[in-house]
Amino acid sequence: MAEKKLTIALAGNPNSGKTTLFNALTGSNQFVGNWPGVTVEKKEGRLKGRSDVMIEDLPGIYSLSPYTMEEVVSRNFLIDEHPDGILNIVDGTNLERNLYLTTQLAELGIPMVVAVNMADLIEKAGDKINIEKLSKTLGCPVISISALKGTAIRAAAEKAVEVAEKGQTAKMAEFHPSVETALKALGDKLTGVPENLKRWYSVKLFERDDKVLERLNMDVSAINDIISKVETEMDDDSESIITNERYEFISRSLEGCYRKKGSGELSASDKIDQVVTNRWLALPIFFLVMWLVYYVSISTVGTACTDWVNEGVFGDGFYLFGNGRDAYTEAMNDYYAANIFTDEVKANVDQAAAAGITGAEDIQAAISEGDYEAFDEAYGFYGSELDEKADGAYSISETVDTALEAEDVPANEDYGKWVPGLPVVLENLLDSVGCAEIVKRLVLDGIVAGIGAVLGFVPQMLVLFLFLAFLESCGYMARIAFVMDRLFRKFGLSGKSFIPILIGTGCGVPGIMASRTIENERDRRMTIMTTTFIPCGAKLPIIALIATALFRGSSLVATSAYFLGLAAIIISGIILKKTKMFAGEPAPFVMELPAYHWPTVGNILRSMWERGWSFIKKAGTIILLSSIVIWAGSKFGPSGFNAELELEESYLGMFGDAVKWIFAPLGFGNVKAAVATIMGLVAKEEVVGVFGVLDFEGLTQLAGYSFLAFNLLCAPCFAAIGAIKREMNSAKWTWFAIGYQCALAYVVSFIIYQIGSVLTGSGNLFGAVLALLAVIGIVWLLIRPYKESVKLETVISKG
Amino acid sequence: MLPLIYADKGNTVEILKVGGSAEVKKRLEDLGFTPGEHVVVVSEAQGNLIVNIRDTRIALNQAIAGKIMVC
Repeated sequence: MAEKKLTIALAGNPNSGKTTLFNALTGSNQFVGNWPGVTVEKKEGRLKGRSDVMIEDLPGIYSLSPYTMEEVVSRNFLIDEHPDGILNIVDGTNLERNLYLTTQLAELGIPMVVAVNMADLIEKAGDKINIEKLSKTLGCPVISISALKGTAIRAAAEKAVEVAEKGQTAKMAEFHPSVETALKALGDKLTGVPENLKRWYSVKLFERDDKVLERLNMDVSAINDIISKVETEMDDDSESIITNERYEFISRSLEGCYRKKGSGELSASDKIDQVVTNRWLALPIFFLVMWLVYYVSISTVGTACTDWVNEGVFGDGFYLFGNGRDAYTEAMNDYYAANIFTDEVKANVDQAAAAGITGAEDIQAAISEGDYEAFDEAYGFYGSELDEKADGAYSISETVDTALEAEDVPANEDYGKWVPGLPVVLENLLDSVGCAEIVKRLVLDGIVAGIGAVLGFVPQMLVLFLFLAFLESCGYMARIAFVMDRLFRKFGLSGKSFIPILIGTGCGVPGIMASRTIENERDRRMTIMTTTFIPCGAKLPIIALIATALFRGSSLVATSAYFLGLAAIIISGIILKKTKMFAGEPAPFVMELPAYHWPTVGNILRSMWERGWSFIKKAGTIILLSSIVIWAGSKFGPSGFNAELELEESYLGMFGDAVKWIFAPLGFGNVKAAVATIMGLVAKEEVVGVFGVLDFEGLTQLAGYSFLAFNLLCAPCFAAIGAIKREMNSAKWTWFAIGYQCALAYVVSFIIYQIGSVLTGSGNLFGAVLALLAVIGIVWLLIRPYKESVKLETVISKG
Repeated sequence: MLPLIYADKGNTVEILKVGGSAEVKKRLEDLGFTPGEHVVVVSEAQGNLIVNIRDTRIALNQAIAGKIMVC
């Protein structure tokens, strides 16, 4: 047997524990969520200790008549690839509904073992399942397991291998005598069908399944008489007859096998649902949860970690465990008070403040508080203002520079265990080995600065991923879809579109893939097109860059970025729904809501780490490479290498110069912003990488915000475009999606910049008129009537 | 006979008929909404329902809940 490979498919209802079992059996690390549709692709792994047995984890299905994309994956695999055995996972807390699929799987003529999962929960609830008896009525081995605790899972897998080797198939459900007669008559008409699939084909013919009829090259008229006879007799359509017969069979099978304590009380999950899906409380609770998630991950914990990485690890350095930080601060404050906050400086700053020079008041405040850090920050932002205005009459830079270059400036090392930052260590190292200047600059300015700008945001992302993993595994995710359905339906999207968007706040690629659970193709396409409007983890650095550089770190920038993303999704939903391509109501909302449960720490950390790791990996590969390219492009020009080369004279600058006109109407028609935007297509982190390597300069607040809006809304990175292409499965639709995203981004940025310019009194008439026309155009697209077909449908469904 | 949306919260009702397009009907039946089954409405918000059926909890929106006839 050893030379033959065996394939065992894990099949079962969504959220029944297939992936947990898969991880336990194969030693893999797939994420397990608590909402139907976590697994959208089949996953393959070897059974631990049996290299000749492959285990396939299939997306969950309720029946073999697929309704959604990921269900098609499962059905096609089972029918076309014909695995050697099926390990059917059945949720023991919900036997009837789960066994419905079992009756269909049995008809495939594939050897099968039924594993009743969550055995521990059943016992805790006081219910009893007679496994032996159930095994006899189903005609296949039944094993009680707990995938989470690992109870009896090995036995179940080995049993599945055993029946697969023996070719022992399960008993098929028996239906009403009239149905059986019809099935037999249909079976006689079948030719060229494998014997073991005969039952399945007969049932499908009875249901008038189009795809099967097509596959068999048969016409409905040939079999209609047989079917209609039963339909008249039982007063129902053939599909419903089969469904009912299956449930009848299950009820008969479960008689005497399953004893339920039968409590009429509401479960804990029901009680939670009464609060979180409550008519009045649902939305406030949802917004509170979301606010908490993003506030904690972006503003507090995440920022603290990110600052440490940026200023410590990739900056000058940091104190181990903070020891010495206070002593150093005190010494610095004293030093500044003595050497920088002189009467002359104070007088200059006071005059500047009185003259209304931008930022002078901030410097003034820092001096009066004697806070050196606040002074550094304010001086860093506005020092040049003082130099430039009034021919340098208010300038304080000479005093500051002299004081900071002096020998007796307090040194970090003297006040505690100081750990120098990576750039400092590397510079010393490169100097000590006598490295060539060009290599040193490449390493420090190109690689370390470029990657550092990106890696600094990993802590923020990790915190965000931690929260998302928690939301996914506790069971709230499915409720969010339900709660948002009411709201989203008004914008032409289904509540299920919200799950991809939420996951997309972490990374767009899994977000786009999560759209597979959406049944209706139009809804799915629309969700794929709009998911990446929401800022993903990689766009956070862009938001932070603009917020710190131009808006003095205001948290409003981040908040507005999420609102901008959401607004783009909503506006697109309404606009697209009114086009012919997307006309029609979103599919009605039906979704199983899993029981709430407390997620395991391991599962959450694993998910956080895996998603975070892919960002780190990206920094080590694609971003490393493009950082080098950007650095080289900006230091080499027609005149050769020059570390001090002006950007405009480098190859990169010439490239930026050639394309910058595109962005001129949006306010950021300068070389750097143009290069950054183009590089953003490779990876959004690169936008910051470009500025990290080529310092930030010269954008007004308005142009900066317009730059931000464009980069948030335009086509996503290559990885996400690839995901769009896979999910759309059509080049035409992919181009349409990218084109739409870029066009929307352009129009929105144009409106922001042109209208904003007029409001700040610097706009031009032509631009303002065009922007106004664009606004009118959007409003018209929003309020024009829906297409006829929809109205007709509504009339019909109402009638 | 009345649509499921009019069933009172907390009451157990029996399904009489499942309507809707062939696709929607099939999906509902696959999920266990078959004539004769008992359903309990757990939560209701503007016609959108969460119901208990066959030991599972299923969320339905107004449009689809209106297609299920109960008594």
